[in-house]
Amino acid sequence: MITLTGTAHMAVWGKWLGDALGTNAAGASAGNALFGIFLSLIVYLFGQWLFKIGKGFFLFQPLFVGMVLGIFILFLFAKAFGTDTATFYKSAYLPGGNIIFWFLNPATIAFAIPLYRRNDVVKKFWLEIILSLIVGLIISLFVIYYVSKLIGLDNVGIASMMPQAATTAIAMPIATAIGGNSAVTAMACILNAVIIYALGDWLVKFFRVNSDPIGAGLGLGTAGHTVGSAKALQLGSIQGSMASIAVVVISIVVDIVVPPFASMMGLI
Amino acid sequence: MAANDKATKTETAKEEQASPILIQMGIFAAILFVSSLISPLFPATFPVPTPVIGLVILYVLLASHIVKLRNVEKFGDFMISLIAFLFVPSGIQLAASLDILKAQGVQLVVVILIATIVLLVVVAYTTAGFIWLRKNVFHRDVNVEE
Repeated sequence: MITLTGTAHMAVWGKWLGDALGTNAAGASAGNALFGIFLSLIVYLFGQWLFKIGKGFFLFQPLFVGMVLGIFILFLFAKAFGTDTATFYKSAYLPGGNIIFWFLNPATIAFAIPLYRRNDVVKKFWLEIILSLIVGLIISLFVIYYVSKLIGLDNVGIASMMPQAATTAIAMPIATAIGGNSAVTAMACILNAVIIYALGDWLVKFFRVNSDPIGAGLGLGTAGHTVGSAKALQLGSIQGSMASIAVVVISIVVDIVVPPFASMMGLI
Repeated sequence: MAANDKATKTETAKEEQASPILIQMGIFAAILFVSSLISPLFPATFPVPTPVIGLVILYVLLASHIVKLRNVEKFGDFMISLIAFLFVPSGIQLAASLDILKAQGVQLVVVILIATIVLLVVVAYTTAGFIWLRKNVFHRDVNVEE
């Protein structure tokens, strides 16, 4: 029998945990995905529970709670392992996180279903839908540009804010092309969704957005991406369908409109 | 349009004949695979990612009745119900960009918050404006069934 001193215990446990999480040199290649999956589920379920006992307080929305708590736990673990949060995130969380992240692919495709369920609205209003998204985006770009200037972002920051209405995979390369920082743009796209998910109901009520169901759907899909579409579905089938079409059309509109807008404003 | 409604109703009536879940997943996988082949064909200056192409393909397949709602809606609705959870890793991804937040963090978050609200409100009211034009200037029908 080997008896271990307290610190040796710590070392053994630390090595075991490090191997299991894939943060040690030996375990790094193994990249244990289970920690990332487990952590994502636990923080989200905790968020759901908190939302329920908090009687639906908006800051207790499960996605928001999950995000903040998840980052905080990674921060604590990183401190305990003596590395920085970004490194620990990449080695321990990312393998599992990527597996869950992948399922956003089929989930995005699935929005063709609510879109098709209200094909009557799409067929009737297709011209208004396209025009509203083009004009709405151009007006928004001007507002976002001047708000960014007013708040004091530099040109890189402003350029990073321009493509955020598109889905992340479109917004990031466009941000780079117009001289922005694609990591900041990705953050914007993510926060758009989190903000719409947390504040969506309140914003819809406060700005009386739902007085026109087609407009409410297009607005939620543009501002909140697929998460906004899920919110819109809760308002009704027209809103859900319109948000789904907005996610696709606004991405293409951003592709076309944002680069010339950026050069017009002298960003590139 | 009436024919389309009718088609949707008959499809709902056949709900008990929903395709087995593996077949539904197979349809999604096939669409994703084809989309991932199409996506690189777009130039780097005009990126169109795989899931966006996939959404369009599934919509076209549904609208042309090649794929029926009962072939895909069980799995699709399930995936949509998970969307907030599927976004958790994206949210936690911000752990990797905490240093960006340190530099200009507060300003960026404020701009993003305002931008989100601006996009929602401006697009919604622009749409309301175009619908108003359709009704009052072009005198076309604006009624939709709830």
